[in-house]
Amino acid sequence: MNSSDNKIELYNRVNRLKLKAGLSHTDPNAKLRIDPSTIDKADSIIEKKAEAYPVEVKRVLKVLDNNWAKAQSGDRQSVPMLMEKIYHNANQIKDLASTFNYPLMQHFGISLREFVEKIDINKGAHRTIVEAHIDVMWVVLNENVHDEGDERAQKLKSLVQKAINKYS
Amino acid sequence: MTLLHKSNYGTLRNFTVLVVEDYGFMADLISSMLREFGIGKILIAENGEDAKDLIRFNASGSSDTKPMDIVLTDWLMPEVSGVELLKWIRSSEKDNIRFLPVVLLSAYTSEKVVSVARDNGANEAIVKPVSGKMLADRILHIVNHPRAFVKTPDFFGPDRRRKDKVYESEDRRKLTSQDVKTHNEQL
Repeated sequence: MNSSDNKIELYNRVNRLKLKAGLSHTDPNAKLRIDPSTIDKADSIIEKKAEAYPVEVKRVLKVLDNNWAKAQSGDRQSVPMLMEKIYHNANQIKDLASTFNYPLMQHFGISLREFVEKIDINKGAHRTIVEAHIDVMWVVLNENVHDEGDERAQKLKSLVQKAINKYS
Repeated sequence: MTLLHKSNYGTLRNFTVLVVEDYGFMADLISSMLREFGIGKILIAENGEDAKDLIRFNASGSSDTKPMDIVLTDWLMPEVSGVELLKWIRSSEKDNIRFLPVVLLSAYTSEKVVSVARDNGANEAIVKPVSGKMLADRILHIVNHPRAFVKTPDFFGPDRRRKDKVYESEDRRKLTSQDVKTHNEQL
């Protein structure tokens, strides 16, 4: 590597986005604004979609359940691909739960996603942990357990944590 | 409510934004929110490979395409992740691809996201869940406070030090004008 390879290069670009926004690209006081009322409208879209939350979580959980069943009964070659799908299913549930403010479901979505990263599917104990997550997520959805703080939520969290501590 | 005189504050109606998100529900939610800001064209790619195709096509200069202005990409996607897409963008030989503003959206914790996003050349990062304010703030920051791009032997992307932040510790960068080659673009 010669000395010119080590040289730092700095690119000061024309601000084309400002031009595209109809503003002067050289005037530092010319700033794009977004009308606050449109930001409120954007947030109201989340509120409007909130009613779709249980339906969508149910759909993703069914897909996850199905992928898990295939991972256990299918050929070994397809297991890594199925586990990646389950990882993304768990992440989708986490995204839904965090968007619509369901902290307990979010907790289990993250927990399952993280566990799947290190799973050894050949270990029965690891399979038990995944199953504990799936079972608990169904309970959380069907019984509409919303908050992390209430007694039922604590029991469910403790149940899964015990399985993780015991079997992982 | 603040009443804005839109003509004095610019508009997003000529902007083309690409949303890269493998989860259709979230892609739909984010694009609906962006539409409320008045963004003219919103494209959706379900995965990193489709995103690359769209970016390449829109950068080709063909008469029926508009160059992409901002890419919002999810981090966790099967096959090509958001970070891999970002690396592909920054390593392009085409200026209208490698300088593309990229916002990385992630379900990971904020410390990890900010550090990985910054070190791979993202302009901005958003930790999910998204909100209208978060999206608006990042878009405004990209348009109103663009950072110079820096190329070093192991990095290409927006300057990792923001001009609008004050650093109180000692500046570890001891550069002279001879160490830096500056490219000042003119219209």
